[in-house]
Order: sequence, then structure tokens, then C-alpha cells
Amino acid sequence: MLSFEFGLCINCNQCLIFSVTTNADLTSLPEKHLVLLRDGRTLIGYLRSIDQFANLVLHQTVERIHVGKKYGDIPRGIFVVRGENVVLLGEIDLEKESDTPLQQVSIEEILEEQRVEQQAKQESEKLKVQALKERGLSIPRADTLDEY
Amino acid sequence: MGGADLWDDVMYVFRDGEACVSRGGGSEPERGPRGASLAVGVSAPRTMFRYQSLEDCPLDEDAFQTLGEEDEDIDQFNDDTFGAGAVDDDWQEAHERLAELEDKPATARELEDGAVSDEMDLLGHHEENLAERLSKLVIENELEDPAIMQAVQTQPPMQQPGGLNSSIWDGSAVLRRIRGPLLTQILCPKPVHIRAPMQQRYPSPYGERMSPNQLCNVPAGRMSPSQFARVSGLVGSPLTSMNPKLLQGRVGQMMSPASGFRAFFGAPPPSAPPPSQQQQHPPCPGSHLQNLRPHPQMFRPDTTHLHPQHRRLLHQRQQQNRNQHRSLNGSAGDRAGHRSSQQEQLRKDPYANLMLQREKDWVSKIQMMQLQSTDPYLDDFYYQNYFQKLEKVSAAEEMHGDGPKKERTKLITPQVAKLEHAYKPVQFEGSLGKLTVSSVNNPRKMIDAVVTSRSEDDETKEKQVRDKRRQTLVTIEKTYSLLLDVEDYERRYLLSLEGERPALMEERKQKICDMYDNLRGKTPGQERPSDDHFVQIMCIRKGKRMVARILPFLSMEQAADILMATARNLPFLIKKDAQDEVLLCLLRPFSLVLYHLPSGTVTSLLQQLANLPQSVTAPAPANLHLAAVLQNKFGLSLLYLVLSRGEELQNSNAGTELMQDNQWTELMSMTTRELLRIPEAALAKPVSTPSNLLSLFSRYVDQQKLNVLETKLQLVQGIR
Repeated sequence: MLSFEFGLCINCNQCLIFSVTTNADLTSLPEKHLVLLRDGRTLIGYLRSIDQFANLVLHQTVERIHVGKKYGDIPRGIFVVRGENVVLLGEIDLEKESDTPLQQVSIEEILEEQRVEQQAKQESEKLKVQALKERGLSIPRADTLDEY
Repeated sequence: MGGADLWDDVMYVFRDGEACVSRGGGSEPERGPRGASLAVGVSAPRTMFRYQSLEDCPLDEDAFQTLGEEDEDIDQFNDDTFGAGAVDDDWQEAHERLAELEDKPATARELEDGAVSDEMDLLGHHEENLAERLSKLVIENELEDPAIMQAVQTQPPMQQPGGLNSSIWDGSAVLRRIRGPLLTQILCPKPVHIRAPMQQRYPSPYGERMSPNQLCNVPAGRMSPSQFARVSGLVGSPLTSMNPKLLQGRVGQMMSPASGFRAFFGAPPPSAPPPSQQQQHPPCPGSHLQNLRPHPQMFRPDTTHLHPQHRRLLHQRQQQNRNQHRSLNGSAGDRAGHRSSQQEQLRKDPYANLMLQREKDWVSKIQMMQLQSTDPYLDDFYYQNYFQKLEKVSAAEEMHGDGPKKERTKLITPQVAKLEHAYKPVQFEGSLGKLTVSSVNNPRKMIDAVVTSRSEDDETKEKQVRDKRRQTLVTIEKTYSLLLDVEDYERRYLLSLEGERPALMEERKQKICDMYDNLRGKTPGQERPSDDHFVQIMCIRKGKRMVARILPFLSMEQAADILMATARNLPFLIKKDAQDEVLLCLLRPFSLVLYHLPSGTVTSLLQQLANLPQSVTAPAPANLHLAAVLQNKFGLSLLYLVLSRGEELQNSNAGTELMQDNQWTELMSMTTRELLRIPEAALAKPVSTPSNLLSLFSRYVDQQKLNVLETKLQLVQGIR
């Protein structure tokens, strides 16, 4: 059976190049892929299909939230991702997958951590905007710029 | 029509525009309101149409007939959906048969695979269970999602992580993990059972392995409209049993995004059906089995377009697995062995191979086509430069005999020859004369924009200032383009033929001259009366950086000129640079120039820095110019450089000149005086303090003052 492997090589003009393994071995396990989306989410799953726009079909997807040294997984099922939202896509080395300094925690914990982090960020952002306003400057936020 | 009374007339307006009235009694008109053709039915009280009798009705025999004919065409779809054309009996039976067939291996797998829960059901039998499970697939309220619920126990859903707009995902997109085998059954039904008559119409040339979906794509594609139409008509429990089919249809549609893929889908079921009928046990198409035996080794797809490191990885892995596979094959060579290994592998991953090799190649081809370029240096400047730099570094390392050279491999993209396209205007046949068609290659002027230049009188002072600044900016941009071209000549020189080289050199020289002219402002006269133009450029950050880049290309004379101009206007530039602090970028090119300057120039330079007129008059109590210079990092560093150069010259053979030069002595005394006068706190910190300053000062000041200078300027190493 052919399992396929994709490598994202952003060199020329930010193109996506993917390749097919010559691996016709029938007993090999499928490869997990990690996808980073434009909104910052990280998805890990088995890549089942791809097209020229980098639309992806991910199977048994897990959304991994990283906060500091910890991470938590939320199982999501099947994902169909529109290509324009993909930042990068890479294959996960299954042997090295467990070889990480990061610590896995439960979902509640990681969501809590994320919430705290987001809050802190928003506070600092607010202070910054306030300070800038006092000086008569206004810098538009990057995410609002993105839409135009 | 709800309010229509039995006794009212009902007016029907048909799609083809004809209208007719049905008499009271609630009977329908003769034509009958068919779903496809009826546009509007309006209830109208009898009185309105009193005057209209059948004779007045616009419809007559002929019209009826033609309408009827059209009607027939329209009704074809209807027919297919509801009428005789629809083939709708198969699927239920098909599913039942499927379920029976897959019962055996499914249950076998069930026993072996503990992960499969006891709620794994066969399609045909437990529809309620299926319905329940499938309804859970689409979760309206995110609170129902067990994954989220587990996590967010204390938080209300609004505070979903990250302030991300994840609501779209948390809602209906959250799917429960569908049990593997169940989905297998949904996705891999036997093609034979679904649309037996249809398959005969599509002979296939390939004996290739097929993905499970491919076989059901073609029939599914045609089936789903009718499926959906039927679903709308059905209510209740049959709906749930339809869902697997819907899923299947949907999945089929998912797999055919682009039109290009139709090529693959157009050539469906291979000769696989006959053999697969015999081998019912593996739920996935038997083509797997078929291809298993003859080709355990793979055909080698073209990997030339891959990144070299990538290719190596693939081959390595291929080798590994080939060895593994051989060992496995050797042990169980019979059919049963194959089956079990296949089952095992399928259990491990029944969804692999959803994309065909051809599909992957096709997408890969598209990507590679996008990378073709006639001039990679132009299209992909940064990548090419990056690799060149890396190569230079590794070459340098190699020369030093450092450790093993790190391999840097580069992706080679296909290079196409540049084709010259001559634009030919579109010509229409049969037209009188030439018609102009506006296109990308032949744009037509749409707006009549007239450039009006304003007269000098009208402008206010502010506008003048603004315009002047804009002019400067334009000059900077033009000069920058020239600079980039000049910097590129080296590369072009290497690439060009022998005959072209002189011409290239000429061009380069010319461009350098142009750059210089731009910098200094073209003046017709010999004398360059004002530094104004130059100063304007130097006030802008980009201008300063540009000057730093241009300096290496200028001749000695020109470069000295630039230096002088800078020194002359240094306090002003310093003031303007307060925000940018970019002047420091000029230090390096300046120092390079300095070390080639003759002594006379150096003297003049110092003069400029100190802002003394040619003839030395009575020294002022304080030299403001120099003071400003000393208080600025750049200024002080530049001064040090000049002094250091002077000292070097004095030490060398040509130094006698300098010694004899009165000016130099005067300047030195002035400088030292200023250095002594200025308070230490006000003194800037230079970039670097040349070591020969001490010896320089020792020529002009006595020991006491020398000591003061020493400590003040920290001239002796080690005092820091």
C-alpha cells in the first residue's frame, strides 16, 4: 500500500512542494502530520488528502494547545482545512514524537493556562495602546490588518 | 393557496408565462400544476375573473401542445427523481447484503481488536443505534461536546481559549470519532452492489489499485442529487438509514474538488470487480490483494523534483521497509498469510491510499510548474542569495581546514527557456476594419487624466518645503535603483560573454557617474556651490544608508568630496539624525576612504570638522562646531579616525609633509584645546579609540595636559 508523505518546502515563492514516498511496504504505519493554521492553532492528524491549494483532509485530528512548557490535546475527529489557512505542514517523526521536553497535561489545565496567558497578553496590550494614545499614536493591531 | 376556498377560482401562473384559471371547486386546471412548471398559484375570488371565460383564455389548442412539449422536457428531472427513471430499490438490499458480508470479518476483527467497542454495529441491523450515533456527529451546542465539556468545566463557553473565533469549530464541526470499522463499511461498499447496470458503461483501462472511494464516486456522484431529493420527501426513521448513503455521497464529493480530478474519476472500476467478488473477505477492494503478489516492490515514482535531503530520506525509509517486508513475506507466503497481513495492515490504517498515485503526481506536477522560472535570480532572489552565502561560508570553512563540511543541498527547480512572445492584436474574422480589443497586453486609456503643474506663486511655503522633500525622496529612489544595478554588475560580468564585457563596464561607469551626480545635485557650473542637495539627502535615513553603500563605488576624488561635504555640515546632520541615529553606518565606508587619502586632504578634512576658515584667525574662545562634533558619537568617532590617520601619515615617510604643514599644527592645537575644555560628561563615547592618539597628542601638548587627555579620553588601554 502506498502511504504518502508530504514535505512543505517554502523556498521559491512560498510554494508548496509535496512528494510521494516510494514506500510500497504494506505493513508500515501511516505518518502523522502537524499543521499550523493561520489563526495559530496546531492540528495533528493523519493527512489523507491534499490538493494544489493545500486544502487538507486530516483524520483523527487532535488540536494541540501549547502554553509554556505544557501542552494539551483535544481530540477533534476529521478536519477539512481550506488551503489558504495553512501556514505550514510537516511530518512527525513517530520515533521522536515522545522525545520531547514538553509536558502533557489535561485539557482543563491547558485551557486554563491558555486563558491566563491570553488575559495577561490582553492586559499588556491594553496598556500599550493606552500609552500610545496618550502620545497621539495609534498602531493598528496585526490581526485586524490581516483582513484587508 | 392555503386560504383558497373550495369555491374560489385559483389562478395558476406557469413558468413559461402562461396563466390559466381553474374554476371554482378546487379542481386543478387541465394542465395540472406540476412541481417543475408551476411558478405561482394565487387564489382569486370568482368575481375577479367573472368576465373571463374559457373562450377568452389565451390558451388554445396549439399553445397547449407546445407547452406540453416543453413541459415534457422539464419533467424529465421530475421523472428521474420521483418517477420511473429513478432506480431506488437497490440500496436497501445492497446494504443488507453488505452488512452480511462484512459481518464475518467485522466480528472477527472485533474479537481481536479490543479497541472496537461493543457498540460497533452492522449497517443493516441496528439502524436506531446508527441514527443515534450519527446524530451525535453534528453537535449543535458546543456544550454537548464531550471533549470541550471535559475541559471547560468552570468556564462558560464564551471564554473559549485564546479569544480565537473558534466558535465555528466548536460548534457543528466537532465530530465524534467515527468508529473505524463502521466508517470502513460506509466508505468501502462493494461497487458491484451499488449500481450494477451503470458499471457496464465505464470500461476501465487500468488495472491499478483503486482507493476505496473511487469506485463509489461515480455512482455516488449521480446518486446523491436523487438521494437528497428523496430524503426531503421522507420523514422519520428511514432518514437515519439514509444517512450512511448521504455520508458516502458527501465523502465522494469531498474527494472530487477540482475539475482535473474528473479525469481520474472518469475511469473507474477496473477489472477488479470480478476477482473482488470472489474475495469478499477483505472489506477493502480486492485490488489490494491483486497487486500484492506481483509487485511487492514498488514502481519508483519520479523523485527528481524533490529536495535532495528529502529524496535521501525517502530512499532510506524505502530500504528499511523493503527489508521488513521481505522478511514478512517470506514467512507467510500463502494466501492466508497475505490476507492476515493485509487485514493487520488494514486494521492499522484502513484509510491509507485514499489518494491515488496519479492524483498525487498530478498535484505535484502543478506545484512544480509553478516553480518554473526563466531567471531564478530574478524570481527567487533571496533564496538564491541565501544559498550563495552559505556556500561561501562553507568554502571558507573548508579552506581553514575545519571539521566535516556540513552538507547544504539545494532544491533544483526546473528551468525553462524564455520564450519570446510577440503580441499580436486580436483579429476578428468577417469584420470590416480592425477592431481594438483592450487586454492586458494592449491596454486602452480609459480615463483622461491631465497633469496640471502648479505655478510657483500659488504655492505656500509649506507646500514648497513638502515638495522639496518629495523631490529628495524621488531622487533617493532613483539613485537606489542605479545602485542596485551597479551592485549587480559583478554577477552579470561573470555570466556574460567576452564581447559584452566592455559594454557592461561602460554602463557601470556611467551609472556610477549618474549616482554621484544625483547625490551632489547636478550643477551646470564647475563649482559645486551648495551642499544643499546632499544635505537634504542626508537628512533622510534611507539617504544616509544609501550613501554608505555608494561610497565604495566612487572614485577617490568623489568620495573625498562626499566626506568633506559631510564634515562641513556635520552639526546640522547630527541634529537631524537625533531620532534615527543612522549616521554610524557611515563610519565604516568613511574609514575605508580615509585610509587612502593623501595628507593634504586629511588636513582639509580636519579643517572642515573644526570649521575653521582657510586662514587661521584668532582662535575663538570656544569652537561650537567642534564642540557639537565632540558631543556626538559619530562625530567623535570620525574625528578620531581623522586624527589617527594623520598620526599614521606623520609616522610614515610621507609624514614630513604633514609636519611642515602649519595648518595641521594649528588644527591640532585647536582640537586639543577643545578636547581639554569640554567637560567629560558631555563627551560622547566613540565607537573605538585608535591606539595612536596618545602619541599624536604627545607631539602637541605637554606632559601635564597629556595626562589630563589620557584620563579624559581613556586613551590608555586597560583603563575601562
